Amino acid sequence: MTAIQVDSLSHIYAGAEGGVPALKDISLEVEPGKFVVIVGPSGCGKTSLLMMLAGLRHQTTGTILCDGRPITAPDPSRVGVVFQEASLFPWLTAQDNTEFPLALRGTDREERRRRAEEMLRLVGLDGFGARYPHELSGGMKQRVSIARGLVQDPPVLLMDEPFAALDEQTRMTMGHELLRIWSQTRKTVVFITHSLTEAVYLADEVLVMSARPGRIIDRVTVPLPRPRTYEMMATDTFGQLRERIWQQLRTH
Amino acid sequence: MSQVQIVSARLALLAAILAAWALLPKYGIVDPRLLPALGDVLAMLGKQLARPVVHEAIGVTALEVIVAFVIAVPLGAAIGVLAAENEYFGQIFKPMLFYVFSVPKSIFLPMFILVFGIGFPQKVAYAAFSTIFIVIMSATAAVESVKTDHVLVARSCGATRLQILMRIYVPSMMPVLLETLRISMIFNFTGVMIAEMYASRTGIGHLIANWGENYQMPELFSGVILLAVVAIAFNEAVRYVEGRVSKWRT
Repeated sequence: MTAIQVDSLSHIYAGAEGGVPALKDISLEVEPGKFVVIVGPSGCGKTSLLMMLAGLRHQTTGTILCDGRPITAPDPSRVGVVFQEASLFPWLTAQDNTEFPLALRGTDREERRRRAEEMLRLVGLDGFGARYPHELSGGMKQRVSIARGLVQDPPVLLMDEPFAALDEQTRMTMGHELLRIWSQTRKTVVFITHSLTEAVYLADEVLVMSARPGRIIDRVTVPLPRPRTYEMMATDTFGQLRERIWQQLRTH
Repeated sequence: MSQVQIVSARLALLAAILAAWALLPKYGIVDPRLLPALGDVLAMLGKQLARPVVHEAIGVTALEVIVAFVIAVPLGAAIGVLAAENEYFGQIFKPMLFYVFSVPKSIFLPMFILVFGIGFPQKVAYAAFSTIFIVIMSATAAVESVKTDHVLVARSCGATRLQILMRIYVPSMMPVLLETLRISMIFNFTGVMIAEMYASRTGIGHLIANWGENYQMPELFSGVILLAVVAIAFNEAVRYVEGRVSKWRT
């Protein structure tokens, strides 16, 4: 069974001068355990698409299946979401931020603590649970966000430009860390980014979207072996894939 | 400057003011008929606090302050939240609220006397009236301080509306709400005092106004000290809680 299946999804925004087509005829399938990256120009609707996959927004037409069942509302047991920077609750510690989804479901305290500690250890923040977000660096905050996204152990993790606000070096490190976490948990990941280097480095498959209305104009399979290494960025294959995606974005 | 130095400097400043108040009138550098020495004022305060008339006045004033506060704060907060959450309500009423907020409330006091007389209801009504606008403004600001991103995260985690209210809105708004509580008490207390001093038969404000008119300066200053202590104690208590719940705000 596919982890995510989207069939002819379209979305039209109700604007002042009638409807504005935002997403047009999107179909995609993601196999379980795959890492799929979506790239596209600003305003192409990739974040909207992600919000729909998360059940946070409703498409005009088309269906989204996750684990074979439609997504109509947020379901954190099937889909975890990691947002752009600053999505942690500043009034909660790293531990409490990570526990948050469990606390909503009324999971008992001991179980919550155990799960959150396990997740913080997974993302490399063992011993930082008592810190507040303002006491953490940008990269550490996003590690907590990932821990929070994974705490309910959903098969699918959606990530909306999670490293966009980080400096280049931290961003590379976090990408590498994410691949480590992914290989340990074998989640299905859908990841949105602006960075073509990040896209090729992380992905099994890159979906390229056009400007409004957003359509999928290319599906690029990345044949680079796992685990990925920084050296691969200097290879011809990497450069050619990056170039192909860039050409697609430029001409549409 | 280190924390210790700052605290010592503050204490030194307080000591200097109290010493000046104690000594300058004693040596005639300041006219003691206008500013009685601190020692005399404190002695007078002790004497006043033993008088049943003063007890009654304190009781009346305290009740007026509390009742006006209990009316103005929840009502103002509800209107403020409505103005921030309901787009149409906000767009229609906000400009009017801003206009009224800018007008000094004391000019309406004669009207309150005409409508409510000079008793308890007039004090409460006027104090609540002079407080409610700042509460509305601050409550609106408190709601607007809630980040939509945080609400989105909570929804993605499967939060219900009630959970979003309790776990996102309340903690986000708490620092601003406590600040509101503090500032609205200042307005509220001022409202009661003005109403009592302007026209009243009892209350601390009434006593102070009388003492002033009768040139009873030690009595007047003992009233000032009493009010100052109560006002500062309330303000600092809320500020302490504020500091504890807004540690995360940097």
